[in-house]
Amino acid sequence: MSVLDLLARRRLVVVTGKGGTGKSTLAAALGRLLAGAGRKTLVVEVDPRESLHQALGVEPSGGEVVQAGEGLWIQNVQAQAVIEGLVREKVPVPFFARKITESPAFRHFVAGAPGFKETAVLGHAYRATRGHRTPRVEVVVLDAPASGHGASLLAAPALLALAAEGGQLGEVAAELAAFLADPAQCAIFLGTLAEEMPVQETLELLETLDSAGGPRVAMVCVNALFPPLPADLLEAVRQDLWGERRRLQERERARLRDRWEGPLAELPLLPLDRGPALTRDLATRLGEARW
Amino acid sequence: MVTPARVPAALDRPLLVVVGGGGVGKTTLAAALGVQSALAGKRTLVMTFDPSLRLKDALGVGEAARDRGVRVPLDAPGTLDASLLDAKATFDRLVSKYAPDPAAADRIFRNRFYRDLAGTLAGILEYMAMERLFEARAEGAHDRIILDTPPTRQALDFLQAPDRIVDFLDSRAVKMALDPIWERDPRSMSLPARLAARAGMEMADRTLGRRFLEDLVEFVRAFNPLFDGFRDRAEEVRRLLRDEGTLFLLVAGPGPDRIPDAMFFLRKLKEAGHRLGPLVVNQVHPPVENPRAGSPDLHPGLRLLAHLGSRDQEGLRQIRDLLPGPGSVLELPAQPRPPSDLPSLAALARAMLIQLDN
Repeated sequence: MSVLDLLARRRLVVVTGKGGTGKSTLAAALGRLLAGAGRKTLVVEVDPRESLHQALGVEPSGGEVVQAGEGLWIQNVQAQAVIEGLVREKVPVPFFARKITESPAFRHFVAGAPGFKETAVLGHAYRATRGHRTPRVEVVVLDAPASGHGASLLAAPALLALAAEGGQLGEVAAELAAFLADPAQCAIFLGTLAEEMPVQETLELLETLDSAGGPRVAMVCVNALFPPLPADLLEAVRQDLWGERRRLQERERARLRDRWEGPLAELPLLPLDRGPALTRDLATRLGEARW
Repeated sequence: MVTPARVPAALDRPLLVVVGGGGVGKTTLAAALGVQSALAGKRTLVMTFDPSLRLKDALGVGEAARDRGVRVPLDAPGTLDASLLDAKATFDRLVSKYAPDPAAADRIFRNRFYRDLAGTLAGILEYMAMERLFEARAEGAHDRIILDTPPTRQALDFLQAPDRIVDFLDSRAVKMALDPIWERDPRSMSLPARLAARAGMEMADRTLGRRFLEDLVEFVRAFNPLFDGFRDRAEEVRRLLRDEGTLFLLVAGPGPDRIPDAMFFLRKLKEAGHRLGPLVVNQVHPPVENPRAGSPDLHPGLRLLAHLGSRDQEGLRQIRDLLPGPGSVLELPAQPRPPSDLPSLAALARAMLIQLDN
């Protein structure tokens, strides 16, 4: 089994994990891998501080769809813009649409209504997988916020569906929640490092997502592993940064393995800075991973 | 001879706020500063969000610290307490404390919004941390508080939480929720107002469902008695974060690609009127003197170390160019093993603070 087999028919891949573990690079590499296999792919970034474009060597999106290669696009998506876009769709008269989106009541509702912004972002990705957007893509990779916020993001539609039961918003949220919980269509990727806190957070996140009964994790990806120590290395090096790091990483990887029996990919720390060359390299390695 | 521990004047403030991105070692540094501060004779409190098991072990505190500060067993002229921030527990405590009577508290606890969604309410987690800070300050049992914060992006939210709460409480949405149109006597309204209200209600009903609005209104109402207290405290926390006794320490990873983020955050803090301490560049890999560093037949591990070394030194050079002046950038080397006991935490703090003495 390979990553491409695992994702063969999925339409949405959500990438989350602890902050600082290379989520964006992983999302970019997945996008590159899927596009390389001939699936038209949109990578959606939610962080307002754009960094995804760097991993693919293109201009920042600023909210627009930017082509990042053959069959590969990126887009930075902000909830506020999505919601205003929806209002414009429902209220075709620009004057009235603006009146609504500029009203304080609307702004406060959007900011304060629990789960609303998260649902809007996921809804945007969902619609893109349904061909509601140009370009028509087959799969969306969502570079989601870090663990805690990532979990709230994934839980938001189900909560909103419950809270707004009986209204149109509730129906839309329920449809979205059902889509997210369908393992045939959606996959969650957790990116992590083989270090204590990232592994801890990954285990906690696995538990949270499991007990929520919603979307399930399809794969865990351990990033930035130091290479194994060669047997003939000097004792001094063995005891130093590399040796200690590697030992710690092996221990943490074992701890993760104890609790996660599903697919696990491992990516090495490479002597490359963040950028297209690193992303290409990692995409190749992800594609070669087997279990 | 043992030199007595001290905290350099540049950092000798009653409140230190440690901020930075994910995985840069904020929590460890906050703990290390706490140890040093206690060794220097101060009654110190470290408030942290989500410390690793290793760090909890190093400090010798367990889950009990979730509720209130726990004394760290440290042989020092001062004292060190550690407390773990737990948003939901703080929220619950606040509701019990400020609700006018147990029935009102109970109404909040039973509200669906509170139960399912309190954690995801905009800014509420961050705000709860501010409440804890406020409580700790009000108790007055400490000379110095060191506050660890969530990672950078959330940290911006975090610092804006008091402003946002005040804004929200003053908003029309809240006032409307307290006086819903559908409960008003229609005879008291003019005909156009009545028609507009009905159209608005019908639209809201169609899109949101009546239950959503009713739950939300109930939630806001149940909270209403607490609002004045919230507003006052949010105002005080806002002031506290801009006080001259408060210093922000930004911790950043090394490497040129981390610089834009660090500079962005420094600028934001400054614009918001906060006082900035030195920038701490953490986990800097040492330069590697290897004449074959670029050669492809070198072992990948050695090539990697050479790459990390030159990358981090370059990042450090660039950041020193951007932030010239003595004591504006402190660097800490990448450590083979993260600190796992009190002496290694103290050593880490010394390695950082000694750079302020020169």
